[in-house]
Amino acid sequence: MSTRVNETAGARLSRLLAMVPWLAANDGVTVEEAARHFGISEKQLQADLWLLICTGRPGHLHGDLVDIQFWDEGGSIHVLDAQTLDRPLRLSPDEASALVVALRYLEQVPGLDQRDVLTSAIAKLETAAGEALAAADGVTVSMEAAVSDEVGSVVATALSANRRVHLTYVSASDQRSERDVDPMRLLSIDGHSYLEGWCLSAGAVRTFRLDRIERIELLDSSTSIPDDVSGVDLTSGLRPDGPLVRLELQPEAAWIADEYPTESVEDLDDGRVVVSLRVSDDMWLVRLLLRMGSSVRVVDNPAVTQQVTHAAERALARYSQ
Amino acid sequence: MSKSDRAERLLNVLFALMASARPMPKSALREVIDAYRESPSEEAFERMFERDKDELRGMGIPIETIEGTDGSGGIEGYRILRDAYALPDVHFTGDELAVLGLAAKVWEQASLGACAQRALRKLESLGDGAVVDGPVGVEARIATSEASFPGLLEAVRNRRAVTFEYRKPQLVAGEVRHVQPWGVVSRRGHWYVVGHDVDRDEARVFRLSRIIGTATAYGPAQSYEIPTGLDVASMVAASAVDEQATARIQINPGSALSLSRRAVSIVDEVAEISFGDEDAFAAELVGYADAVVVLAPDSLRSNVVERLRSLAGTAARS
Repeated sequence: MSTRVNETAGARLSRLLAMVPWLAANDGVTVEEAARHFGISEKQLQADLWLLICTGRPGHLHGDLVDIQFWDEGGSIHVLDAQTLDRPLRLSPDEASALVVALRYLEQVPGLDQRDVLTSAIAKLETAAGEALAAADGVTVSMEAAVSDEVGSVVATALSANRRVHLTYVSASDQRSERDVDPMRLLSIDGHSYLEGWCLSAGAVRTFRLDRIERIELLDSSTSIPDDVSGVDLTSGLRPDGPLVRLELQPEAAWIADEYPTESVEDLDDGRVVVSLRVSDDMWLVRLLLRMGSSVRVVDNPAVTQQVTHAAERALARYSQ
Repeated sequence: MSKSDRAERLLNVLFALMASARPMPKSALREVIDAYRESPSEEAFERMFERDKDELRGMGIPIETIEGTDGSGGIEGYRILRDAYALPDVHFTGDELAVLGLAAKVWEQASLGACAQRALRKLESLGDGAVVDGPVGVEARIATSEASFPGLLEAVRNRRAVTFEYRKPQLVAGEVRHVQPWGVVSRRGHWYVVGHDVDRDEARVFRLSRIIGTATAYGPAQSYEIPTGLDVASMVAASAVDEQATARIQINPGSALSLSRRAVSIVDEVAEISFGDEDAFAAELVGYADAVVVLAPDSLRSNVVERLRSLAGTAARS
């Protein structure tokens, strides 16, 4: 990692104030470990330590300065005198609320094990933060509540015990399927929870939204996930695979651009919006187009437009019987 | 002056104000801090000290200003009490630090993520055991990509009114709203701000994705009270779901599964389902094509039929 040339004095000071008590609490930690912990280069960490040992109470005589030893053979660090920095600085309202709101969100994630640990961590954080926490009441993140306790608890057990599960699943395009899945991770993204796992029927990694799992059964077999398989990349949220489809949205349908993960969004002058999104399942797209009527048009796929018309005709026939 | 010098100077000011038993006068600080002593004029020193004091206070360091006892209102000096500075004596187990670590990764938005990380850094010194791995295989993320989010959050915290341009679902043009925000809520992956709509003199819920651009704060801070016992999450839920009518819908067995799951009852393939907005519900039903038939009420039935006719007809012409 590169040295942070653009770091402000405040950001650096904030790290220094956290560093002294952490090093004191982790006596003998190496320069390499400490650098990794603070997400900086070893060179930067050493520069930080050199700066620290030049500071202290006025007078700067022996005994007034911070004393940290970090030049022995194995590169281990020992805090000999932390001066008045032996305890970390209080949490600011921003810091306390960012962390507490996230913990309160985790508390609601169905299928999360260690609920008692969460509860005690929140209680201690509330004590530690004190008045700084008033700001946290301004932000609420609530989970969708439609996940049954049973689904949540079977997912938690399966994940911690590495056991295979059998799912009855209803997809976004309303298709029911039965699958055996080896759970890998529990993902909670923007209020929805997903089980990520190796799907034995598909022979691939799949994510299943917990509120669409109709039934879940813990099987006796242990999980057996191929070695070269990794989970989905969450850096930009969950995105479906599949071909790109371009949709032209009338202003009243522009919300589609917020609702679904798009690859590109282009605003036209008259309020219309053209979006491209990945569609893994034509049925899902047909249903979306039926719902949206004339407010959404597929730009480049006449076959899908045909399917929509036929579906509408079939439905209409049922009303004239 | 290099940044390294400034960090060092700030640290020395911090030590000086913490070490002194009595409030430390500005003149005494000027003597003991190298950079202050070397500043070319009294004015230059004053400016430097004010900037440093603001920087330290901005980080949450509690610098107290102590007035003199002579009654003149003059400032005797400054000090930092260790107990006011430091986190209380709380200890976290390895398991607890692991869930704190998980929580610190939840925010995708840069400024909240950085705040949570800084909080974690501080708390990690209070561990009383080995740090363990987090809960098995869990990843949680909350995205806050809306441009208005940071400004609204700050407005709630400072109790300061905001104004923004808001686009209603069916309209192209936005209209300007004035709101005293009470809270920011995420529900089903969408962010909302709840507050008092000044123009309409009513409590209102606004969806952040419909706010055009950013929210601008105006007027003084602490200018209104947030009602006590307020449950912003249920206000948002109530604004989103307003189920007052019941429909009877015939559903083909094994189809429209997500719809069936919302049914109050299903007898002989006929489901009773409550709904709020008729247009929205009709649109959803059209999505199920021939898997569902609306039996009642009549207005919903004709709403659905109209939509189907237009879908079938549009394509017939093209």
